[in-house]
Amino acid sequence: MSKLGQVVEAVESYNEFVLKEVKRARTDEVFGQQMVDRWNDVKAKTPIGTAPTGLKLPRLALPEIDEAGEITRYLLGEGLPGEFPFTSGAYREMYLEPLRELEAGSYGKDGRNGKNGHSKNGKNGAKAAAPKPAEVEEPTRLFSGLGLAEDTNARFHFLTGHQRSARLSTAFDGPTLYGIDSDAEGVFGKIGEGGLAIDTYEDMVRLYDGFDMGSPAFSASMTISGPAPIIMAMYIAAAKKRFGPKVVPNLRGTIQADIFKEVQAQNETIFPTEASLRFLCDMIEWTTREMPRWYPVSISGYHIGEAGSTPVQQAAYTVSNGFAYAEMLAARGIPVDQFGPRLSFFLDCGLDVEYIALARVSRRIWAIGMRDVFGAGPKAQMFKLHTQTSGRSLVAAEFKNNLTRTAAELMLAYMNGTNSCHSNSADEPFTTPSEEWIRLAAHGQAILLDESGIFKHTMNMLSGSPGMKAVERAVEAAMLEEFRQIEAFGGVLPAIEHRYQRSQIQNAAHRYEQQIYDGTRPIIALTKYNDLKDEMPEVKMVRTPRAKKQLQVDRLAKFKKRNAEKAKRALDKLSDVVERGENCFPTLIEVVEVCSLGQITGRLQEVVGHFRPMV
Amino acid sequence: MAAPIRVLTAVPICDGHDSAINTINLEFIRHGIEVVYLGYHRYATDMVRAAIQEDVKALGISSYNGGHVEFFSEVARLLKKQGADYIKVFGGGGGTITGNDDVIMRRNGIDKIFFAGTSLEDMVDYVHKHYSGPHKPFRGRKASADMQLARKLTEIEDSYAGRKLRPKKRSAKSKKKTGKTRVFGFTGPGGAGKTTLIDELILRLLHREPKSRIAILSHDPSVVGAGALLGDRATMINSQNERVFMRSMATRGQAGGLSPATEDCLTLLAESGFDYVIIETVGTGQEAMPFQTGLVHKTVLVMNPDYGSRLQLQKIVMLDLADIVVVNKSDQERARTASSEIGRRLDQNKRSQILISTVANRHRDAGVDELCDLLTEQNV
Repeated sequence: MSKLGQVVEAVESYNEFVLKEVKRARTDEVFGQQMVDRWNDVKAKTPIGTAPTGLKLPRLALPEIDEAGEITRYLLGEGLPGEFPFTSGAYREMYLEPLRELEAGSYGKDGRNGKNGHSKNGKNGAKAAAPKPAEVEEPTRLFSGLGLAEDTNARFHFLTGHQRSARLSTAFDGPTLYGIDSDAEGVFGKIGEGGLAIDTYEDMVRLYDGFDMGSPAFSASMTISGPAPIIMAMYIAAAKKRFGPKVVPNLRGTIQADIFKEVQAQNETIFPTEASLRFLCDMIEWTTREMPRWYPVSISGYHIGEAGSTPVQQAAYTVSNGFAYAEMLAARGIPVDQFGPRLSFFLDCGLDVEYIALARVSRRIWAIGMRDVFGAGPKAQMFKLHTQTSGRSLVAAEFKNNLTRTAAELMLAYMNGTNSCHSNSADEPFTTPSEEWIRLAAHGQAILLDESGIFKHTMNMLSGSPGMKAVERAVEAAMLEEFRQIEAFGGVLPAIEHRYQRSQIQNAAHRYEQQIYDGTRPIIALTKYNDLKDEMPEVKMVRTPRAKKQLQVDRLAKFKKRNAEKAKRALDKLSDVVERGENCFPTLIEVVEVCSLGQITGRLQEVVGHFRPMV
Repeated sequence: MAAPIRVLTAVPICDGHDSAINTINLEFIRHGIEVVYLGYHRYATDMVRAAIQEDVKALGISSYNGGHVEFFSEVARLLKKQGADYIKVFGGGGGTITGNDDVIMRRNGIDKIFFAGTSLEDMVDYVHKHYSGPHKPFRGRKASADMQLARKLTEIEDSYAGRKLRPKKRSAKSKKKTGKTRVFGFTGPGGAGKTTLIDELILRLLHREPKSRIAILSHDPSVVGAGALLGDRATMINSQNERVFMRSMATRGQAGGLSPATEDCLTLLAESGFDYVIIETVGTGQEAMPFQTGLVHKTVLVMNPDYGSRLQLQKIVMLDLADIVVVNKSDQERARTASSEIGRRLDQNKRSQILISTVANRHRDAGVDELCDLLTEQNV
């Protein structure tokens, strides 16, 4: 049985354990009383805040129950925010306004009890999960990338000018995503389209110019997977050039680097899967040791969802991919409590009903699997989540409706306790967002979190309604069923080789399209209330002018000319390290100082081969 | 019955968005269209070469991450330059392609852009309405060798479409001289890795013999009058090469792994001056014996180690007939057992059949090198 099969058993056995404990609380008076006492204690220690209207509200909302069995079901089955199994949130408090001094109660001193779980090895579950409250920072992340590095840099300054912290999310153009240089034949038209062009680490220096890369108030996320280790090396080289070698341990951010979802859905991979995974693990091994604040892989369902999967498929494939990474990293001998806390997740949020609870279920399954199958401690049990509203759900017809779609999705994402979030711009069906619409997308989150009172006074404001619980149970059962299907192939990798996930996603995508046109899925202004029949709307298109594309090509030529001699030696060294099977990441950090992305990719492909596409 | 419409579909270079094209492919197939799918992240030159070789009526491009005006225009320009603008270019890119772009793209020779919100039904209707009917003869200009060969293959294939399936006649043509051309037949069950193995073989042949030219005749299943997905090109990365002529055929209702038109097409290819012609069947069953023509010099049976019990081997007819048996995916746990079981099965035949093990999807696999040696050695 692969680890995934064991996860299925662990979740089933945890669910049975909860039921048994519920029964015990009802029959064993002493135990029942302990649970009631704990419940009363949690309630008593919950601080009270004040809304601007003067209304007093607890910082944590709990169900109105006082019977020992129901209390046990809640504390063990769902858990408090920040406590195993983390159903309602990875942290105790998120999105809340800071408490004013006078109101601060004892909460936080000894408010954590944490004796809420069973554990096969009896070790980890008994420890209190006592994470610090999330740092006060905005969860808003807006994915940006256009033109050349300096253009995206300007967009970053535009977006973060008024924020306390600079949390940059970086999109790359097609050639970069495929590890190809801007001067390669046939790609000129693609330079700087849909994201920015990076050919050398000097572009990376331009990209984050003016930002203090080592500051706690700065973090960067980079959405790239195929050549991720090379891009990560460029990021490190750029930071070192600007701030010296001491900056490295302070670097914060995320690189997507998720090979599994590329092979399953997004198709941006350049080396054979096995080699890609090796380079990825080299990077993770190095960064989890040397850059403890960095998230070196963002296990992503977004692209699976956007490729047309159902929400359950999206979450099931993502979480199972996560367990597959954990299995690989553990097999390398990296301690689970070293790599576990550095794994993060990324899900899509669309309008289907499953999204009411998709992230909640994912968090719960991850926590149980990590604790009971991998023996992970509390920090490695937490499913840290970035969410993006669904691009696929946005349509071109009367595109201003996309503001409403995105607003509804944002609501779902925050109801699910996402740790950070990107809201799509309404002009997404047409173009890389223009400033007008990206501004509205950012404002959408601010209106929800800062202006409205929905999320800023009370944790669990909307958690645990009967409907949400019903969705949760159905989604969990369906996800476990998907796990069993994957397990039947022998685990995630064998299932990938059999095209299992790909064919499931493709079938779901086809059905989705058919449902749009057979009326099962009404799309407003496209298939319903589409009386306006508008012409193509006037949308400002963001495109990269020819002269800029040429500038990028010229800069790259100069870089290559200047480093020609050194590049050859560096690439030979890289080949040797890869052939010898050593961790190649430290060498990559040196190589990027004299070689372009395409030069490095090309050399690595000579050594390990090319990715063979799957259909 | 008229021959099915054949179209080629693909996604441009540096673009992996294949969700739309997969859905459109499925819809085309459901409506009787044969789709040669070239895959994602494909160069304009590869698309044009494939469209010409496959002699499709139209080339459909699905683009999402920008640069479409340049890319589509480049495809149209290359087609025109080669005198192949009888192949129409259509495509879409959701909302990313604007009305203004469309005006420029049509001026540059693009036949049709489907805008965001176009229903699948409308796309299928358009293809049926505009890309059906007989192929137009080449206009005036001198057609390239590829174009002429491709058209002859179309004529052969279409000549079978209107008729009842004929019993295969042992063609006198097959005795014709094929000169230096060596013909290899690859068969085996689905999922054994035939396509990958052939593509790796092509890589080696192109490298070892820098002037060689190779033809591939590849098959995918279909039933009479229905569409088909011809997807082998999408996974072949080394065969996108000026020196490779590839043609994808649907079986159009014939059992046994090949199409009614295969033999005639193979004869033509064998006489067209290639150094090697490689023919690949669809994934076959135990009873299949596809290469009954004298045209094939070497037959290769590609097996997956996972064939079930040893008893199953007794039923596989090709194990009696193949010159070379390849156990691919020999890095799998069961491979060692499989090799010894198949070895014993071959010993029963008392012929000089050769058994080798490969891992086709491993870079620079020594087993594939060995296969390449075996196939290219002289006097065999």
